Amino acid sequence: MVPDSIAATGPAASGPWRLALRRLRRNRVALAFLGLFVLILAFVLAAPLWANEVAGTGPNKTHTLEKIEVNGEQRDVVDPTGQPIGPVWLGAGGKFFLGADGRLGRDEMVRLMYGGRTSLFVGLVSALITTVLATLLGLLAGYYRGWTDTLISRTLDVVWAFPVLLLAIALGLVLAVGGLQIGPLHLSGGSIWIPILIIGFVSTPYMARPLRGEVLSLREKEFVEAAVAQGAGSLRVMFGELLPNLTSTIIVFFTLNIAANMLIESALSFLGVGVQQPNASWGTMIAVGLELITSSPLLTILPGTMILLTVLSLNVLGDGLRDALDPRSKVRFEAHSGLSAPEGSETIDGLAP
Amino acid sequence: MARFLVRRLVGMVAVLFAVSVLTFLIFNVIPNSDPAQRMAGKNATPQLVASITREWGFDKSLPEQYVTMMRKVFTGDLISYQGREDVDERIVEGIPATFSLCFGAAAIWMFFGILFGYLSAVRAGGWLDRTLTVLAVTGISMPVFWLAAIFLNYLTYKTSIFPSGGYVEFGEDPIEWASHLILPWVTLAILYIGFYSRVLRSSMLDVMNEDYVRTARAKGLSERRVMSRHVMRNSLIPIVTLFGLDVGVLLGGAILIEAIFSLNGIGQYAYEALKDADLPPIMAITLFGAFFIVLFNTLVDLAYAWLDPRVRLGASPQ
Amino acid sequence: MRKLGLVLAATLLVTCGALGLSACGGSSGKEGGTLTASYASFPDYLDPALSYTAEGWNAMFDTYTPLLTYAHASGAAGSKVIPGLAEGMPKVTDGGKTYTLTLRKGLKYSDGTPVRASDFPFSVERMLKLNSGGSSFYTGIVGAEEFAEGKSGGISGIKADDKTGKITIDLESPSGTFTNELAMPFVALLPKGTPVKNLSTEPPPATGPYEIVKSQPGRGWSYERNPQWAKANAALLPEIPSGHVDKIDVKIVHNGSTQVNEVERGKVNWMQTPPPPDLYQKVKSKYEGTQFRVEPTVSTYYFWMNMKRAPFDDLKVRQAVNYAISTAALERIYAGALKASHQILPEGMPGHKSFNLYPHDMAKAKKLIAEANPSDRNITVWVDNEPPHNQAAEYYQGVLGELGFNAKLKEVNAENYFALIGNQSTPDLDTGWFDWSEDFPHPDDFFGPLLSGESIVPIGNANFSQTDVPRLNKKIAKLGEEELGPEQEAGYADLDREFMELAPWAPYGSQTTSTFVSSEIDLGKVIYNPTFGDDLTSFQFK
Repeated sequence: MVPDSIAATGPAASGPWRLALRRLRRNRVALAFLGLFVLILAFVLAAPLWANEVAGTGPNKTHTLEKIEVNGEQRDVVDPTGQPIGPVWLGAGGKFFLGADGRLGRDEMVRLMYGGRTSLFVGLVSALITTVLATLLGLLAGYYRGWTDTLISRTLDVVWAFPVLLLAIALGLVLAVGGLQIGPLHLSGGSIWIPILIIGFVSTPYMARPLRGEVLSLREKEFVEAAVAQGAGSLRVMFGELLPNLTSTIIVFFTLNIAANMLIESALSFLGVGVQQPNASWGTMIAVGLELITSSPLLTILPGTMILLTVLSLNVLGDGLRDALDPRSKVRFEAHSGLSAPEGSETIDGLAP
Repeated sequence: MARFLVRRLVGMVAVLFAVSVLTFLIFNVIPNSDPAQRMAGKNATPQLVASITREWGFDKSLPEQYVTMMRKVFTGDLISYQGREDVDERIVEGIPATFSLCFGAAAIWMFFGILFGYLSAVRAGGWLDRTLTVLAVTGISMPVFWLAAIFLNYLTYKTSIFPSGGYVEFGEDPIEWASHLILPWVTLAILYIGFYSRVLRSSMLDVMNEDYVRTARAKGLSERRVMSRHVMRNSLIPIVTLFGLDVGVLLGGAILIEAIFSLNGIGQYAYEALKDADLPPIMAITLFGAFFIVLFNTLVDLAYAWLDPRVRLGASPQ
Repeated sequence: MRKLGLVLAATLLVTCGALGLSACGGSSGKEGGTLTASYASFPDYLDPALSYTAEGWNAMFDTYTPLLTYAHASGAAGSKVIPGLAEGMPKVTDGGKTYTLTLRKGLKYSDGTPVRASDFPFSVERMLKLNSGGSSFYTGIVGAEEFAEGKSGGISGIKADDKTGKITIDLESPSGTFTNELAMPFVALLPKGTPVKNLSTEPPPATGPYEIVKSQPGRGWSYERNPQWAKANAALLPEIPSGHVDKIDVKIVHNGSTQVNEVERGKVNWMQTPPPPDLYQKVKSKYEGTQFRVEPTVSTYYFWMNMKRAPFDDLKVRQAVNYAISTAALERIYAGALKASHQILPEGMPGHKSFNLYPHDMAKAKKLIAEANPSDRNITVWVDNEPPHNQAAEYYQGVLGELGFNAKLKEVNAENYFALIGNQSTPDLDTGWFDWSEDFPHPDDFFGPLLSGESIVPIGNANFSQTDVPRLNKKIAKLGEEELGPEQEAGYADLDREFMELAPWAPYGSQTTSTFVSSEIDLGKVIYNPTFGDDLTSFQFK
């Protein structure tokens, strides 16, 4: 089914998706940042290649006492005072391209690439979880209203009321040691799924609320009435009529949520309650880098800049997608580390009893 | 209106209750180390651990412990496990720093956010708009603690332009108070300026395309009148909403910024308590923060009910 | 105008002269002034009965005095126990089971209350009632264990006579460490009636040269001269210095780099915490000798190996680990702030005699592993999350990997760490990091809790290696009962060697700490006591 707003604009000949694509293609800024994101993706996917072929080491392997040959000269990876070697660039054939990451002498370039894989993986999968949960909850609450809505909305309110970081940190802390037991499945404390689940869970209210708002307004439209009149059951209406109309919103939200979740992951890992050391993620790398910030600022600047570039690309892309898919959309969901509430729709549904 | 208020108040209390129960459960049900053992320390004997368990009531049932803890939160008798401090006192002591950080940053971000948003909207599509948008999106895309650390390194350690952290009471020395807070304010504000300027921009663009604005223009009202009376007043509505919500969140303490700048506010207390997995302060701070979030949520909704009669009457949204 | 110039010049000269005079007036430096200090975190408690950390003891050394105390001196001299509020060292009779001391006459607390002999049993009882972490040091007193359980009825083994000032303490069995335990802050004397609750925010009256006048947990605290010190106590306690500065203001600054920055700028005169590893070398090379001094700690940093779990139940594996660890690598990880060693007792501990049974040899280590050929290659390595200890453990994990093991690292919150690894029901306690600092300069403080089978308990266990050799247990117990003399010290040195042959640990040394002061403080005068740290009475402005 075609969302009213899109059907109302543009030439009637092209389908809505074709139209959206055309609008996106005209948005050069969004395309440029899409390109940047693809580059970053390529960068992190190339990690095993670089690690095996060029650097000859892994992301967690320590080289405290080793020496490498740089342009014919023997140099300490970590000198006796604990100072790690700076960027060697191609002086040692690509080894320690960006230098060593601290007193443990790990290859910073390799860690940056593997760290990116971890951060992007956590961001992406947790965003998937958030999107699926938020869509389900939004649909159920918005469609059924009444008690279902009250229950779901109140639960979301409770999670929303928690100072976000506090909740995530508390959960991360508690689960970091003992791990998590869900029925027969046991996740050890160091498992990457723990931060993924926590972030996915904590992000959900911020997406579920606006989605619920949109479902509330969509269900009043004629096509829903028509479907019900034709005898469609609730599930049919929700997943057959409402969901397709939410697709463009969901796509935009999903993109922006990856960005938001990556920022949360970096904060949690920085605090030691996200990805667990010694595993590399851009967040843990900032934590390690901060210890050496006065003597080796690059170790902090690099991972932070990678996060900035990735999140920036996703944010611009998300905006571009929103403009392309529904240029007059009033429903907004912004991704930033403060995770503020969405505008517009908040006022529509905020007073529901 | 009164019925609405009562309903919201009841809702608030219910949410806060749920928050407290959830917090309590997180630290008690999910396996964590026994606080009595932690308090007993390095040379603990089983008798000492047993004694501490009895003293603090850890051998009582969970619901009993919950009730006792909640009672202590409100009577001000809550003592932390780590260092046996009076939790409520510490929170009260942290309020000046946290509130100073919040309101100072808010003043900065509102001023610049609205300014940049306005400029972007009236010059939409132009180079100023594009530049400001890029800056804005960049501002919301960086990890705030990372920015804080970079500032600290280059603006304090390396160059001594700003003091390197700590909080000075306003009463003691207003100038020092401000100079110690400038970096934290700016770090926090950068994030929100980006966000608010974009929200205002899109809100203004939406409003400027509305029928009633076109009507006003058609009626011959000067551009300035159109802007100030119709456009701005309506575009600022979502800004006010968000401001209320954001301030509500920040009053509970900006954990990372306070910790990095050693501001000794509630956020820093939260950071320490979380590091120590110390339930009493975590409970009190979470409730403190949740209270403000829920309060400001309610205030914002109230403002809406007052401004928009449709909403007040609970009409179904179209 | 020329005349004005002359007047100005004259004024300048006189002022400079005056300043110059005051600067060199008194070759021992300036008396008075306010010392500004910074700690990275508030001590666990500012209540002598409760505090059990180096920061807390550092803060209260010059405020609360027990019956016995330590000499206010650096190095080995600072390990000597001297009379505190008691007239002399205790008279030990009845085969080491009875200690008799006499309280000096005329001592006063900072609020003017006279110090009485009965304040001693009161203070001990208060400490036990508070469930202090130090309780276990005193449950050897007759009646103390019952008192700790019931919290009433007094301690039958302590008798105090206020008229004569005589104090008698009966022990269940002889103990070679009791003299040291009488010098711990846990049993510092407090006036009878001091409230039995944590007094960190309203510190009790002092007996030392300084008293704590204001305390705000999380933010800082302040000292001023104890008025009763000059009036009454100073003359009676000549071995405790009176201090040079008049006031001390301590503030909490969490960020280590900020602390260094402030000392460099002179905004803070002394930082109690050592400079963070990032800045350590820079500070050391720039200020060593003038404002910075490395201080040894009497502690051992080690990786314990659980002998009851495979693969560490095999001696060859444990020895291999000892050969595989390189202290050179660890020194880099500690940014140079490490004093390497390969034995149980640290330098500075009586009974310490240097030796190294396992000089670094990776090839030998691998050979031993090949011979042992352990079937269980999965190892969990535990560590707390404080740098650089967690990095030391990451290094250890890498070493285990090189030896052919599949080692997983588990980093735990520092506050939780001991409780977790000391709890026998925690799964996968294979090996991990730990550091043990002396509570007092007596080797039993190390061997007893860490390596005696008698000390293994289900919770709060400090014998992580599960070492339980009956012959060695007996030796530890016997040496612990006797007064420390040259014979006992030799016995401890032998014990050290015997344990290293057993290799329950892979010790690698101790982290050095440091004293870092601003340029206005006379570094040469600062005393660093091995147990209590930088002595507040020794800080003096130049």
